[in-house]
Amino acid sequence: MNYALLVLASPFSGTGSLTAARFAEAALGRGHHIARVFFLDQGVGAGMATAVSPQGEADPVARWADLAARHDLELVLCVSSALKRGLLDDTEAARYEREAHTVHPAFEIGGLGLLVEATAQADRVVTFGGSA
Amino acid sequence: MVLHTVNCPPSHPALGQCLRLLAPGDALLLLGDGVYAALAGSRAAAELAASGAALHVLDVDARAAGVLERLADGVSVCDDEGFVALTERYPRQQAWY
Repeated sequence: MNYALLVLASPFSGTGSLTAARFAEAALGRGHHIARVFFLDQGVGAGMATAVSPQGEADPVARWADLAARHDLELVLCVSSALKRGLLDDTEAARYEREAHTVHPAFEIGGLGLLVEATAQADRVVTFGGSA
Repeated sequence: MVLHTVNCPPSHPALGQCLRLLAPGDALLLLGDGVYAALAGSRAAAELAASGAALHVLDVDARAAGVLERLADGVSVCDDEGFVALTERYPRQQAWY
């Protein structure tokens, strides 16, 4: 089946973002296709290239990037959620005249239309909620 | 036939909101701090059992919370593959958070 994932959970607190990454891996392992993973609100932290996880703690950014590299996953950060948190790719950094780009290259920045498109085309939509 | 997921502790309004809609034929998967609702003898576990829905906890989260050894009767433990299998079986998911 074709899956779309929506990740609202922050990678920096709680378990939601890592649960979503493990779910994606398990779904691919069962032969499903993941059309797109869309990160919204606090979920966009998953694409923060400059985040450094303490030694011995899980590194959600690396986990997602590794998953994307191995399975050619499309990881999209909501543009407004990302920009207000200082998450900018090359294009946005140039557009807003910021000195650094902070989005991991495994991720792209996009609009909510990409979420709508993915959910419209998917057989299954699974949401990983924000709190806790 | 809805798969509900709850990732908040029983003290959070999300569980009560879920309980209002949870019906026989549905399934509930408790994730994150949501696994505390599956503690044997707790009010939340009794309310969930009364819903008639199939009850599951995610193994990693239940183990991390120390709930795995004290699960209420009738709650089954599922791994990540089991989570995916639930989404295969239940076409729609309602996430409470």
